[in-house]
Amino acid sequence: MSVLAVSNLSKRYRRGGKPFAAVDDVSFEIGLAETLALAGPSGSGKSTIARLVLRLIEPDAGRIEFEGADFLSLSGGALRARRARLQMVFQDPLAAFNPRATVARVLDDPLRIHGIASRAERPRRIAALLERVGLDAGLAGRAIHEISGGQRQRVAIARAIATRPSLIVLDEAVSALDVSVRGQILELLLDLQRQERIAYLFISHDLGVIRAVAHRVVILDAGRIVESGDARTVIASPQSAIGKALVAATPKLVRTSQDAA
Amino acid sequence: MTALLSIHDLTVRYRRDGIEVAALKGVSLDIEAGERLAIIGESGSGKSTLALAVAGLLAGSAEIGGTIGWSASQFQTPRSVTPPSVLPDISPARGEIAPSSPALQIAKVEEWEPALMLPISPLAGEMSGRTEGGAKDRQRLSLTNASIGGRDIGFVFQDPASSLDPVMPIGKQIAEVVRTHVGFAWPEAYAKAKTLLERVRLPDPESALRAYPHQLSGGQKQRVAIAAAIAAGPKLLIADEATSALDTIVQAEIVALIRRLVAEDGMTLLFISHDIALAATLAERIVVLRHGELVESGETRQIIAAPRHAYTRALLDAHLSLDAEPLLDRQGASA
Repeated sequence: MSVLAVSNLSKRYRRGGKPFAAVDDVSFEIGLAETLALAGPSGSGKSTIARLVLRLIEPDAGRIEFEGADFLSLSGGALRARRARLQMVFQDPLAAFNPRATVARVLDDPLRIHGIASRAERPRRIAALLERVGLDAGLAGRAIHEISGGQRQRVAIARAIATRPSLIVLDEAVSALDVSVRGQILELLLDLQRQERIAYLFISHDLGVIRAVAHRVVILDAGRIVESGDARTVIASPQSAIGKALVAATPKLVRTSQDAA
Repeated sequence: MTALLSIHDLTVRYRRDGIEVAALKGVSLDIEAGERLAIIGESGSGKSTLALAVAGLLAGSAEIGGTIGWSASQFQTPRSVTPPSVLPDISPARGEIAPSSPALQIAKVEEWEPALMLPISPLAGEMSGRTEGGAKDRQRLSLTNASIGGRDIGFVFQDPASSLDPVMPIGKQIAEVVRTHVGFAWPEAYAKAKTLLERVRLPDPESALRAYPHQLSGGQKQRVAIAAAIAAGPKLLIADEATSALDTIVQAEIVALIRRLVAEDGMTLLFISHDIALAATLAERIVVLRHGELVESGETRQIIAAPRHAYTRALLDAHLSLDAEPLLDRQGASA
């Protein structure tokens, strides 16, 4: 069963007075607890698709089915209720949060807004969420700007899972992290996926990261899908011109003697 | 090879939120003339501070200890142009870099209280690639009285959108550098700017001269920033996370461009990056920094194939290559 089914999605903008298709007739599905990656160069439509799926912007054409329901027809309370099941984590958590808010406040919001826990119960739920993402519960009182980038991204993930979503959109969620922190965040995401059966729409320009965590990949160029399939297969032998260019442009690390050891 | 510059026991401290932060702690390093050297490190490693210190661009409030010695013979004879000299792609009208004597001595700060020395704040964040420092009130001494002018160093920053003037046509921005540092009149400076735009392979250089930065893509803007950085024929090109904001394909193009320009002009390259795999494709030698200290340095081949330090090995292990075992499998196996 698919969690998300996108069909014939299109979004056009005007650039310099001329219309251009940011997303052009795009269709894909994401299954339960599956990770689908969107790859492509800047301007290929990756982030526009993320915004369309989240309904931060409305498409010109196409259909989005989320958990079996027509997501685009929802509005008001029905949309808000369904949105609890669809969460997001962006590249820069500092930009995504009010920097003056405390960690507790950031996690309290979704629990309160979606009526998940009573006021009395929330501090305990917040502590549990922090522990779930590998943070000390004592961090709750700290301001967002006081904690490190890696900790902030963990808080963003804690906020995303607070409402027990079936799908999280991750838009370049690990791109700005140091490599040592990046590995830990990817492990955390995989662990959550396994435990909570969460599906990910994983947007990245980095094929190394995609290959490490995604089941399937869709390669985009100028708003269109040019190639898709099993992540490892596509990356091992890309068929499209842009797929080949992406693989060729990825820095290779040849660690000869280290590998032999 | 002869050393272009010799960094000895360089220490830089900033004040952040009232707390003294040591960004660099006693780093010693020679940069050979004509080499391509990469400085690798994660956030808080001090790599950008090192780049800024070499260029004389540290904030005026930074406390600097140690020396940066320049080999006088490697540089063009100082010319008297007014205003003195500015780095190509930063706000003009600030010439804190003036030519004169060879190896300079950065002012020794008084003996530091060891108890006050803190490591890079753990709160500083683990985000890579941020360069700090505004355009005002820079490093006081640095290159003052050295036989090196701003025209001897080209600096390419991470974000070309903020290093280019948004309301000035790009041709004028490059021509201005040529005028200031080479002393050309405007028509010749514009002709040179056009040649530079051709050299960085900007499509249609003639009309690009009149374009504004916002009309260009991120990769094109970085090409313009590089054109401005090399406009005065610098000996040393510093690229500080110059490709980090670009997508993989454009990144590879810019790296290829830097490689070609460095070879054609015989420049020395200081390539600052958080990405050890990327650096290895470009540099002959790699220096690894961590928490303001030099962890390891050596030939690229040796650093990649036989790193001596555990931290370097950890950085290499964290690299997600296209032939590694996916995390997905490792997780599945342990589940």
